[in-house]
Amino acid sequence: MTFLLVMKKDLRLFVRDVRFLATLGLFSASLVLILSVAFGPIFTEPPRLAAATVWAALFFAGVLGLTRSLELEGESGAGDALRLSGADAFSLYLGKTLANFALLAAVFILLLPLTAIFFDVGTLKALPGVLGVAALALIGYSAWGTLFAALARGLQARELLLSVLLFPSLVPLWIGAVKLTHAYWGGVPLVEVKDWIKVMAVMDVLGLALAAWLYEAVQEAGE
Amino acid sequence: MILKADGVTKRFDDRPVLSRASLTLEPGQVVHLAGPNGSGKTTLARILGTLLPPDEGEILVDDVPLSERRSQTRRMIGFASHAPLLYLSLTPVENLEFFATLAGARDGRRRALALLERFGLEQAAHRPLAHFSRGMLQRVVLCRALLLDPELLILDEPYAGLDDAGILVVNQVLTEIRKQGRTALLIAHDKERGGGVITHTVRLRNGRVEDA
Repeated sequence: MTFLLVMKKDLRLFVRDVRFLATLGLFSASLVLILSVAFGPIFTEPPRLAAATVWAALFFAGVLGLTRSLELEGESGAGDALRLSGADAFSLYLGKTLANFALLAAVFILLLPLTAIFFDVGTLKALPGVLGVAALALIGYSAWGTLFAALARGLQARELLLSVLLFPSLVPLWIGAVKLTHAYWGGVPLVEVKDWIKVMAVMDVLGLALAAWLYEAVQEAGE
Repeated sequence: MILKADGVTKRFDDRPVLSRASLTLEPGQVVHLAGPNGSGKTTLARILGTLLPPDEGEILVDDVPLSERRSQTRRMIGFASHAPLLYLSLTPVENLEFFATLAGARDGRRRALALLERFGLEQAAHRPLAHFSRGMLQRVVLCRALLLDPELLILDEPYAGLDDAGILVVNQVLTEIRKQGRTALLIAHDKERGGGVITHTVRLRNGRVEDA
């Protein structure tokens, strides 16, 4: 299974880069802290502010993860070695996407209790729903992000280009994630926002489908 | 496998590097590609190695355009260049096993260990590459290129950083390739290091390949 092999390799590289993991963890936690201070000390609508905070922090911190994922293949030309293996391009993409998903999921697991404590929101009963929203959001984020990271590979100012491409494309995912998390934390009835589940699912499928169509061409056009 | 570059042109920022260059690599040949710095040797090697598309002209593999069988061809080519094409945070065994398995080999670990032993790296097999000297890293680069018993081996400055023992192993490998009817393209400034292994020499001049 090519994609599992690539995922395992990327996760191993992430885990060995302690400095990167520490930076990612501290940066994302700092964002939650800064936003909670900015919105506080008395929160007018804690579920809404908490949902916006956790997803803003995660989406910004995620760029660090995607940039690192991009660098893994750029350093020492290892991306060329992946191409030379003759492995199916979409399987390579899928492996990297899964590794990015796992990394972002770990960041989310770190941010969730911090947000819950700072904003005093969330219950154990709401946890499965919030995790489901996170899964939908992070599948889309990883799918689009990995594709755009590959597009930006080999270009100057690639981190900037990645952000410029990524954030506008992810707006529907971000809004959906905020609205659904808000609902699960008791801000609004779920029935009012449940259509966002469909929007997010469509974004996920669209990202993966686009990658299936384009990734090989993007990979081969890396130079 | 017969690999043929037919009228290949490549430009970078409108600056022509290769201009209708043609070269045929046939089984049993060890071809030395010579030429001054900046003459396009590495560019031609990358085009033949399927890593870079030509702007004009085409690459044929057994008379079939490369674009029609790129994946299969890639599994038949071993490529070593200036860049290591390895993950420096991983150990040699992890790198080689990963790339072998990725390319479909079922015995990736065995292949990795056998090559590392051949290149005298068995003691360093489980240390991250980031801690390796240039010469040691170059040996691992060569191991990766040889991992799948390639039909065509493209070596861009393989002797860089190698000591006498390393050079000897490279020449032994090239001799085996020639005897087994496989092919090698060797780019090296110092042809003498290739010793008696080289069967043909071609030279790149003004972006074209000429017989030396």
